Amino acid sequence: MKYRLDINGVVRDVDVPRGTTLLEALRDDLGLVAARYGCGRGQCGACFVLADGRAVASCLIGVEQAAVYRIVTVEGLAEAGGDAVQRAFVEEDAMQCGYCTSGMLISATALLQRQAAPTADEIREALASNLCRCGVQLRAVRAVQRAAEERA
Amino acid sequence: MTIRADAPRIEDRIRLEPDGRVTVFSGKVEFGQGIRTAFAKVVAAELGIPIDRVTIVLGDTAQVPFDMGTFGSRSIAQDGEILRRAASAAKPLIAAGRPLEGPIPDDAPVSATPLAAEPRRVEARDIVTGAARFVADVRIDGMLRGAIARPPVRGARPATVDDRAAREMPGVVMVVRDGDLVGVVAERQAQAVAAAQALEIDWTAPAPSADDTISLPINEDAGVEAALAVSATRVAADYAMPYISNAPIGPSAAVADVRGDGATIYAGTQRPFGLRDEVAAATSLPVPSVRVIPLMPSGTYGRNSLGDCAIEAARLSKACGRPVLLQWSREEEFAHGPARPACALDIEAGTDANGLFTAWRYDEHTNAHGYGGSLDKARAPFTSGRNAVPPYLVPHLAVTLHIEPSPLRTASFRSLAAAENVFAIESLVDEIAFARGEDPLDLRLRNTNDPRLRAVLEAVAERSGWRGRTGSDGRGLGLACTLYAHGTYIAQVAEVFAAPNGRVRLGRFWCAIDPGRVIDANGIRNQCEGAIVQSASWTLLEELKQRGGRVASTGWDTYPIATFRDAPTEIDVHILSAAGEPPTGVGEPPGVPVAAAIANAVFAACGARVRELPITADRVRAARR
Repeated sequence: MKYRLDINGVVRDVDVPRGTTLLEALRDDLGLVAARYGCGRGQCGACFVLADGRAVASCLIGVEQAAVYRIVTVEGLAEAGGDAVQRAFVEEDAMQCGYCTSGMLISATALLQRQAAPTADEIREALASNLCRCGVQLRAVRAVQRAAEERA
Repeated sequence: MTIRADAPRIEDRIRLEPDGRVTVFSGKVEFGQGIRTAFAKVVAAELGIPIDRVTIVLGDTAQVPFDMGTFGSRSIAQDGEILRRAASAAKPLIAAGRPLEGPIPDDAPVSATPLAAEPRRVEARDIVTGAARFVADVRIDGMLRGAIARPPVRGARPATVDDRAAREMPGVVMVVRDGDLVGVVAERQAQAVAAAQALEIDWTAPAPSADDTISLPINEDAGVEAALAVSATRVAADYAMPYISNAPIGPSAAVADVRGDGATIYAGTQRPFGLRDEVAAATSLPVPSVRVIPLMPSGTYGRNSLGDCAIEAARLSKACGRPVLLQWSREEEFAHGPARPACALDIEAGTDANGLFTAWRYDEHTNAHGYGGSLDKARAPFTSGRNAVPPYLVPHLAVTLHIEPSPLRTASFRSLAAAENVFAIESLVDEIAFARGEDPLDLRLRNTNDPRLRAVLEAVAERSGWRGRTGSDGRGLGLACTLYAHGTYIAQVAEVFAAPNGRVRLGRFWCAIDPGRVIDANGIRNQCEGAIVQSASWTLLEELKQRGGRVASTGWDTYPIATFRDAPTEIDVHILSAAGEPPTGVGEPPGVPVAAAIANAVFAACGARVRELPITADRVRAARR
């Protein structure tokens, strides 16, 4: 089946089997691998993308459903207002293996676009859907605070 | 590449490029612990060049010298030192325009050049922009996707396989049967998974385990019982920890491209040379024709000492003659990935009237730790028995390791058995201090004359306000320490809040660490913080539920780990650097005392002595006096 998607501000056509998830289309048909497979059930946040500015699990959305949204992945995050968050994660070294980092960047960008100056507790709540096994949670909270200050 | 373990040479380790950049080679691998950055800082400092002029090649078996593997927190202590000495020897050669050749000297003074503070991590920019490539991101022309049919329980074998439905499904290229391996290769990921599920397989019941318990004395002393009998204070306790999952956020993945004349494997392995040999054996190829290229997996905490996923990918690729990407599902990772062993810890110690230890007996019952859960008796005291000996002065000490068969596959998990042993040892010390009515810090200080252990204990006590602590309203502080296997000293204080319903919440956490000479202070802090969050997670939340080898926890809903809500509110990491001491390692040690620090804090907070992990609300309520 052919679908037309709006990804990182560019119209992209894909031809994939019916029922293909947005995650699989991004990674295997569009060459955008920053959203990563973690569980396939929307429980870990590794595959998060922005859909009309909200953080959603791309493993749970079918391509057909994704066609109605403006989708942003980490590859297009800098142009979509996420550059301060990206810089802050580097400066705070808020990563170890980096596998979950894409999802955290998406959640943090979505948070700062709806709330310019969140408290530490609000950041923890907003990123609670992003699992991290390496344990960089405290650094990630500091990074989001740093990004908020830079954007202010 | 030749093995030159005894005589390392400059040309195996450092190459000067035509543009003046420097390329450095190490058999260690990066999986988020930061060694690429640390190696770059070491070499840049010795050569006196900017860090961005240094490229680090890690683990590629076609390019780097042989290495046993990346485990035991030995990367900085071993290869970091070799690279530092290699760079030190290379510097005058570069200045003189001579070729970089010759033996690496056994010793070299540490350069006075300051280590670069930036960048914090050399991979950081690629990770935040999506440019980083993990194993599962590899794309090769003609690459297929694999999926494996899994038995319901370990050891079950396929008796009959009906693949008629699977073969007709969209995208399926081949159903692969190779010995006990049954799998599918297909054009797309979802197609491979669907076809593997459509295979009709009758599995044989697994043969009962033929393994017996192996008992190995680590320290023998015939006088222990007599000394315990006359001790002024004597405390015995049983502690236990369940199986846990490595639980990487990204399930295992590998790409294999097996041809008639050789193979290329992209994998998140901790043992690239070991995996090379295993793939060669599994594909009947000569070892030199197999190249293993390690890429970043998801974080790996011991799990990737096993090459299981890469070997499966190689067998699928060999069968279909095309490159194959195999990525395990979340369910497979929980149910079929190796687990950290369970343990039952029977421990007893006594002191005299002055609070000096008189005798100590410890029977550690566990499963095989170490890569592949292998039972190497010579190495067992360093793997399954790691840190079973307490870091205190004990005149009569008997420590016995009992390795029991397991219904689950087991393998290393960060620090191997040190985590379980230090949980038992440091909980018991707290219990003895309570029995004597004294401060557990004083009991520890009195029973060691190691100045570095005393220093981390005193530092963490000062920073956490230990001496002036007041316990009330369900708040408590708990102390624990260790001298980790290879020489890293750690002391920690946990602050917890225990609610009336028994639920435990973490407050602040203090960590004092002495890892010898500091290479990358930010890297040390990041490792300490991460190890504390991760260990707090398994202390309070984690248990891989199974019965007879059949795992019931197969998703994050049934195997919860610590989230942003559960992490400590603050983590204070204080680095003590003992002058003149060589660097040790920080990947594993900071997670080791965490469970005991939390358990001791729970006791201080509400009087509940929880001796079995995880410390759930039910267990706290049951143990509260």
